[in-house]
Formats: sequence, structure tokens, C-alpha cells
Amino acid sequence: MAAETGTPTTLTLKSNDDELFSVAESAAILSVTIRNMVEDGCAGGVIPLDNVDGKTLASVITYMNGISAIPADEEKKKSYRDKFLSDKDFETLADMVLAANYLNMSCLMDAVSAKIAQVMEKKSVGWVRRKFGIENDYTPEEEAAVKEEHKWTFEGVETDDDN
Amino acid sequence: MAASSSNSPEAEATPPPWEELPREITAAILRRLGTVEMVTTAQNVCTTWRSVCRNPSMWQCIDMRSITYEAPPNSEMVCYDAVDWSNGELTDIRIDFFGTDDLLLYISERSSQLRSLRLVYCTHITHEGIMEAVKYLPLLEELVIHCIYLSAKAIETIGRSCPLLKSFNYNGHWSKYMVSNLEAQAIAKNMPALRHLQLFGNKMGNEGVHAILEGCPNLESLDLRKCFHVRLSGDLGKLCSERIRDLKLPNESTDDVYQFAVTGTSGYATSHSDDETSDDDYVKEKITRKQRNRKTKKQKQKKNNKRMFD
Repeated sequence: MAAETGTPTTLTLKSNDDELFSVAESAAILSVTIRNMVEDGCAGGVIPLDNVDGKTLASVITYMNGISAIPADEEKKKSYRDKFLSDKDFETLADMVLAANYLNMSCLMDAVSAKIAQVMEKKSVGWVRRKFGIENDYTPEEEAAVKEEHKWTFEGVETDDDN
Repeated sequence: MAASSSNSPEAEATPPPWEELPREITAAILRRLGTVEMVTTAQNVCTTWRSVCRNPSMWQCIDMRSITYEAPPNSEMVCYDAVDWSNGELTDIRIDFFGTDDLLLYISERSSQLRSLRLVYCTHITHEGIMEAVKYLPLLEELVIHCIYLSAKAIETIGRSCPLLKSFNYNGHWSKYMVSNLEAQAIAKNMPALRHLQLFGNKMGNEGVHAILEGCPNLESLDLRKCFHVRLSGDLGKLCSERIRDLKLPNESTDDVYQFAVTGTSGYATSHSDDETSDDDYVKEKITRKQRNRKTKKQKQKKNNKRMFD
């Protein structure tokens, strides 16, 4: 590994749409999935990442390089993560959370999850359904029962007519 | 971005398949929402989210802190539900600005795994309520109590009921006219496993600090901010600086600690007034003080403290 030989090792990652990316091993092993492959000796050639597309992988690699360049300073890392995610749209966040989960990158996973959760803050149930494209699969009876059971939970949030 | 304040989401051509996400990802996202919104919003969105939300592991930590100086509406009912759904797996709970002795007892009777209990500005919870509740919490390791008066007897009960207690944070009511070491002595006698102790605004004098150093041999951090009857010069100061890795002195600034911001302890502390001011006044005063940058003061104090021990 790089630390042992003193020369930086570069890995080649392949997205599921066959794009190739070079990345320093020291940055790539932020992903436990990739680290395990390296440790198992599977990193000699190209590392295929079947669940991540090229656009998302490029973004994840930007993150890997950025965060690994920051020395052990949790505040600075956090502000880098915030900045990194600040310009990502909602669809990109969905791709990122899937990629972070597949690549087993807990720090990115936590940050993206929090960012997605933030979207729901102080919103009504109906708003969240529309924003996330989720169909209301409660039967009218179930829905009435839910509302009755927790009548008070529908108070105090931003409401709209589409609950 | 999507988190805009707009009330109507823009139309999306191909919404991501949120419903089809693996359950663990949905859980990771919804867990980030916080207790109130998991109860009031997330679990009512669809049956999949509801079933994710009803897993007891989602309620191991109930965090109902408030940074708005008041509890959101229905906090108490949200808390009862969250405790029910935790199904005995609750390990960590924080409640701010609400709660009663009944709620506390309800929590403790159902949460024998509880490791951390934080009650911040819960003015309707009494020391009797806490004495009753801790009897059900043998595994408690961290206890934070702000703005609830604890008698020496209550401290004794806590210590005996929670032998694993490692961290105790108790905000007292300092008075210019009264010195009392009873609480410090109760801690020294009944909480031998403590590693972290924060006792700001406590009425103890030097005798209390001596007792604590003797009774709590594992103490690593000791926060004596606002304990203005303590004079840490001479031998006691030396002993403290030798024994305690992280020592905070009576005059140090409290601006770094969130719960001070909520309870506003520095309100009475910096003015050295007696404890007649109401808690609400502390809060108001704290809000106005919040903007001030007292870094320089803190640095100066640190320098002075250092000099004291040199």
C-alpha cells in the first residue's frame, strides 16, 4: 500500500456505464467497499463499481479527494461536507445516498441523509409525498384511523390541502 | 435547493424511487429527522415509511432538544408515543422545556436500558420525580439536570440507584448569601465512579471541592463555573490542577456550552447577583448577551488561571 512503499498508489474505478476514473488509493479507501477490495488484493486492475453511474462516481471522487486533503480537523471536514452538498439538487442527493451506502462511506452517508431529512423539516405529510414522489398507499379507512389516532400530530406543521 | 421554504415542490419529471430504497437507507434518512418529525410526519407518509419508523431501533435515541426556548406543540404526547415505540430499547433521551414527573416515570419504567438522561429546563419535573425515576435506571451513565433543584437526599438516591454513573451535570442555584457543601458531599459519598462532573452555580465552598476530590478518585473533568464561593488558590488549586485533567474555574466563560445558552446561567453569574432572579429572566438576559463575543475575556481568564497555578 501507499503508506508502505512511500509512493502514492493510484486506483482505477469503473462506473456501471463504463467510465474510468483514476483516484489516489489513500482517498479511495475512504470507501470501506473499496478498501476491502484493496486488502483482498483485487485492486490490481480496474475496480468495477456496478451500482454507481459515472456522473455520481465523479462527484463521489471529488468528495474523496477533497475530504482526504483535510487534516484531522472535524470542524473543517464538516464545513467541507456542507459546502460539497450545498449545490446538489434533490435527485443528485438520491443518487449520492445510494452510492454512499453501496461504497460504505459512513461520513458521506450521514451527511447526505441529514441533507435529505432537512428537506422534510416542518413540512406536511402531503408536501413530503409530493416532493418524494410517494403515493399514499393507505386505504381511506387506514388514513382516517391514522389521523384519528394522532389527531394532534397534524397540528403545528406547515399544512396544505393535500394531507 | 430542495430545502427551500417554498410550500409547493416543483414538478419533477422522474422522481427518484424513494419508496423502493433499501430499508436501511430509508431508516438512515428518517432517523435524521428527529423525534418530533418522525412521529408527526414521516410515519404518516406511506405504509413503508410507517413500518420503517415502527422499528424499535429507530427510537433508541429520543432527542427533543429545543433551541427556540420553548417546546414544540404536543411535545409530551410525541414523547409518550416515542417511548412506547422504543419497546424498551431506549438508551438516550433528552427533553427540553417540557415534561412532568408522570412522563419521567413513564419513561423510566419502560427503559431499563437507558444510559443517558438529559433534562434541560424541565421546570415541571421535581426532585421527588427524579428520585422515583432513577430507581428504574440501573445502567444510567450520564445524567444532565438543568433548572431542577436537587436535594442532597436526591443526589444520594441517584448515586445509589445508578452505580455506573460516569457523567453528572447539575446546574444549581448560586446564592451570594449562602454557602452549602451538602450537595457536594452527597456527590462525594454516593457517586464514586464519576469521571465528568459539571456543577456550575453550586453553593459549595472549598470544603465541597475537597470532598469531591476525595470521594471521586476517577474524576477527569470538573467544571466549577459560577461556583463563586470556591477559591482555588493555594494548596487546593494545586491539588485540583494536578488531579483533574480538564478543570474549569468559577470565573470562566460559559458561552461555549449549549445548555448554558438554553438555561442562561451566565445571566446571574457575571453580575454576582443573588438567586432571586427568575429563570425566565436568565433566559432573556442570555438571549441579549448571546451576540457578544467574549473570547478575549475568556483568553484573559485562562491566562490568569494559568498564572494562579504557576
